[in-house]
Amino acid sequence: MEKEEKPCASLNYFLGVSALCAFECVLFVLQLQLGVDESYSLLVAKNDDHSIIGEATIEANTVYGALRGLETFSQLCAFDYGTKTVQVYNAPWYIQDKPRFVYRGLMLDTSRHYLPIDVIKHVIESMSYAKLNVLHWHIIDEQSFPLEVPTYPKLWKGAYTKWERYTVEDAYDIVNFAKMRGINVMAEIDIPGHAESWGTGYPDLWPSPSCREPLDVSKEFTFDMVSGILTDMRKIFPFELFHLGGDEVNTDCWNSTPHVQQWLQDLNMTPKEAYQYFVLRAQEIAISKNWAPVNWEETFNTFATNLNPRTVVHNWLGPGVCPKAVAKGFRCIYSNQGVWYLDHLDVPWDRFYNAEPLEGINSSSEQELVLGGEVCMWSEVADTSNVLQTIWPRAAAAAERLWSKREATSGKNITLTALPRLHYYRCLLTRRGVEADPVTNKYARQPPSGPGSCYEQ
Amino acid sequence: MGKVVKSFCFLVFFGVLVEGLNIWPMPNSVNYGHQIMYLSNDFALKTDGSKYNDASGILKDAFSRLLDVIEVDHVIDSNFSHFDPIAILHGIHVIVWSQSDELQYGVDESYKLSIPSHGTQVYAHIEAQTVYGVLHGLQTFSQLCRFNFTNRAIEVHQVPWYIIDQPRFFYRGLLIDTSRHYLPLPIIKNIIDSMTYAKLNVLHWHIVDTQSFPLEIPSFPKLWNGAYSISERYTMADAAEIVSYAQRRGISVLAEIDVPGHALSWGTGYPSLWPSKDCQQPLDVSKEFTFKVIDGILSDFSKTFKYRFVHLGGDEVNTSCWTETPRIRKWLRQHGLDTSGAYQYFVLRAQKIALSHGYEIINWEETFNDFGSKLSRKTVVHNWLGGGVAEKVVAAGLRCIVSNQDKWYLDHLDAPWEGFYMNEPLTNITNHQQQKLILGGEVCMWGEHIDASDIEQTIWPRAAAAAERLWSAYDNLAKDPSQVFGRLAHFRCLLNQRGVAAAPLVGPGRVAPEEPGSCYKQ
Repeated sequence: MEKEEKPCASLNYFLGVSALCAFECVLFVLQLQLGVDESYSLLVAKNDDHSIIGEATIEANTVYGALRGLETFSQLCAFDYGTKTVQVYNAPWYIQDKPRFVYRGLMLDTSRHYLPIDVIKHVIESMSYAKLNVLHWHIIDEQSFPLEVPTYPKLWKGAYTKWERYTVEDAYDIVNFAKMRGINVMAEIDIPGHAESWGTGYPDLWPSPSCREPLDVSKEFTFDMVSGILTDMRKIFPFELFHLGGDEVNTDCWNSTPHVQQWLQDLNMTPKEAYQYFVLRAQEIAISKNWAPVNWEETFNTFATNLNPRTVVHNWLGPGVCPKAVAKGFRCIYSNQGVWYLDHLDVPWDRFYNAEPLEGINSSSEQELVLGGEVCMWSEVADTSNVLQTIWPRAAAAAERLWSKREATSGKNITLTALPRLHYYRCLLTRRGVEADPVTNKYARQPPSGPGSCYEQ
Repeated sequence: MGKVVKSFCFLVFFGVLVEGLNIWPMPNSVNYGHQIMYLSNDFALKTDGSKYNDASGILKDAFSRLLDVIEVDHVIDSNFSHFDPIAILHGIHVIVWSQSDELQYGVDESYKLSIPSHGTQVYAHIEAQTVYGVLHGLQTFSQLCRFNFTNRAIEVHQVPWYIIDQPRFFYRGLLIDTSRHYLPLPIIKNIIDSMTYAKLNVLHWHIVDTQSFPLEIPSFPKLWNGAYSISERYTMADAAEIVSYAQRRGISVLAEIDVPGHALSWGTGYPSLWPSKDCQQPLDVSKEFTFKVIDGILSDFSKTFKYRFVHLGGDEVNTSCWTETPRIRKWLRQHGLDTSGAYQYFVLRAQKIALSHGYEIINWEETFNDFGSKLSRKTVVHNWLGGGVAEKVVAAGLRCIVSNQDKWYLDHLDAPWEGFYMNEPLTNITNHQQQKLILGGEVCMWGEHIDASDIEQTIWPRAAAAAERLWSAYDNLAKDPSQVFGRLAHFRCLLNQRGVAAAPLVGPGRVAPEEPGSCYKQ
């Protein structure tokens, strides 16, 4: 696509880019929050004389809109090997842009494999290239607990090793690094399942030494701990949503451990009711700290009527869930594992691209309850050595689905409308030092099949 | 408080008997103690008494990179009032004896690193003949540092240290292939940075091959029409940038133009270089134009690639297109050459052109195997086909670089790190004079099946195993690779911490980790 066009505006070092913010932006330090205005317009003027400096203007209501505009502008630029200058082709440009969904996420799992801070920052940087705006940090899980919790300092003994850890300052640093790129960080503590690693430092949290998941619902200590963690995390993570997990809860250890069994009997609760009790109690703690809780869909599937109305339901098990959630008035995030799980290597880019978060939802008031969606990078078999190439370029396909208008991304022959651009984009990523997999791979994270141009693989 | 060595630090990992001696590659001579020191907040570089004025800023930049790298991106947030002042390390005092920062084959890369024990205003010392020795010393120092998660300080354990170090071989290389897949500049620069961590010092840039010709050649500007696309190219300024980036890190760039085979892409811009339209390789031996182009390329190279050597390839030459093209068949007859004679003629003529531009030559081993006695005495033979060749080369009095493909080809994913570690360049070479003719060795990252998406994890950590074979003193090398597993695993995790996508150690090359787990066990 960029091969044949004649350049119409030539840029040298003196590129003038002016960003006009609305009045409010100038006066206040703008909070980065869900739904912040990310719209912008971008104008690149045309000059007839190749050697004269052109001018570009970005206009936005907030600095975050301006960041998006700068990213778009960067993609209009190409290095010309003939004149050895950076050119903007096809000037003049007039672009007006804004995202379709306010929540456009990528989930990173730092429990199955520790990801060094440098790597997390590399991921955040690459997210900004695709205008993704939420990093869902699945910090802790069964296998390891890498984050420092000052109120309960033995928790991070559950880290794999003392080096595979994040201090509180490291977490602040990551949040700030993301904010500078207009990216929110949504932290998750997955409870009551997926929490075996908590007991390395505090074995009382396990139902018993031989039955270690879920967290012991019968103890106040458990909820003190949840409260302590959330208190510490409130200082670090300003995003208005906090993820409390709640997926894949196998209550056998509650049933089979005598003291928990006794507690259930005393309170006349079935294990399923105890699950609900746990989730709701944790939700209340989060809400008391001015968060809206996000929970994996099993909580909705199991006890929708009792779920706090502020809950955002995080769909993952398959399609057809967000329609049910929004019908009941809940907000929803779409991560249908059949199409948006990056660790599923057999899902190629076109299935990422064609997935539609609003599928099956026709009423516009219900559609508004779908905040957006998220691609998930579970790391059971992904670590520093391969995480970037597992994320890219497939995450970019989802990123367009979440940003661009539905009419532009649906019902088209995407081999013509999207593939060439994705190809170009993948090569752009590699030029920026981001390890992005060949686009034409049927199976992700495979090497290229043979020698060839980036633009054809 | 500060002196207590926390026991969890030094649980015996994988049978490493020496506490925390996690330096890779292993230095020549290492002595250490049992104290701990903390790096001060304003850790500084001192150069009093040094003869090197660092006008080019190589040392200053390297020190700045050191500070970045030892933090491994953690936030340093220590309350220094808690530390005993005698346990604070205030900086590094560097002394360089040579004023020159010319980087050439054989430059002195030795250094001495000492970190004294507790005292007042303590500085670490690095002393070296050249600034490049200092760079290696800084690298070693960086591996002694660790971030303490409790007090948020950077510590050095087992002080005092006294390390004397120098490489066993002068040529410790990595080959990258930018013809089979174009590698963008940031990717190449990341590779160069990662090479410094393992003290590799030559980047063998196999720029051009059959599939694409990505480099600008000002003397013959249509050559890079053979690039895959107009944007998968390097300008000469890009090449100069790579050379400079590498040089500032103590790495030389060896440029290669592989002739006469592996050169199909040359004809995209200049079809007359092909024997014929239907038979496009090797380069047409019968034309003067062919040698004019080679001369132009080498002339342009000589302005940018300042390493003493240039690589002229010469491997896998299939001469059928010469005999099948009538015009060339006639030329062969007229000159009384058979196909191997013509191959020899081509290689020797290319060699002469390179010599005329001030280069010494490296050629792949087929040139030696086929007509070794005719090669210029200044030829370095690059062994690749297998073992047993290096000994023949040096017996014939020529220099050699070892890259036997059964052990040191990184694109062979089934070649395990143990094989990389145990591949000994001086195998069967006992004569001391002949041993000196082995310049060193090189691991090769051929690009048919790798690209920007996966090159780092294919290179690392196996290249590190070879890097120790090439740097460390022979007696310091483990006789059984399992003895170094723990130390190499630690180095692999260090690479990851520095953002290098080094693959798990366990298993064949470039596998995904099998399951969740600690970096140190995979």
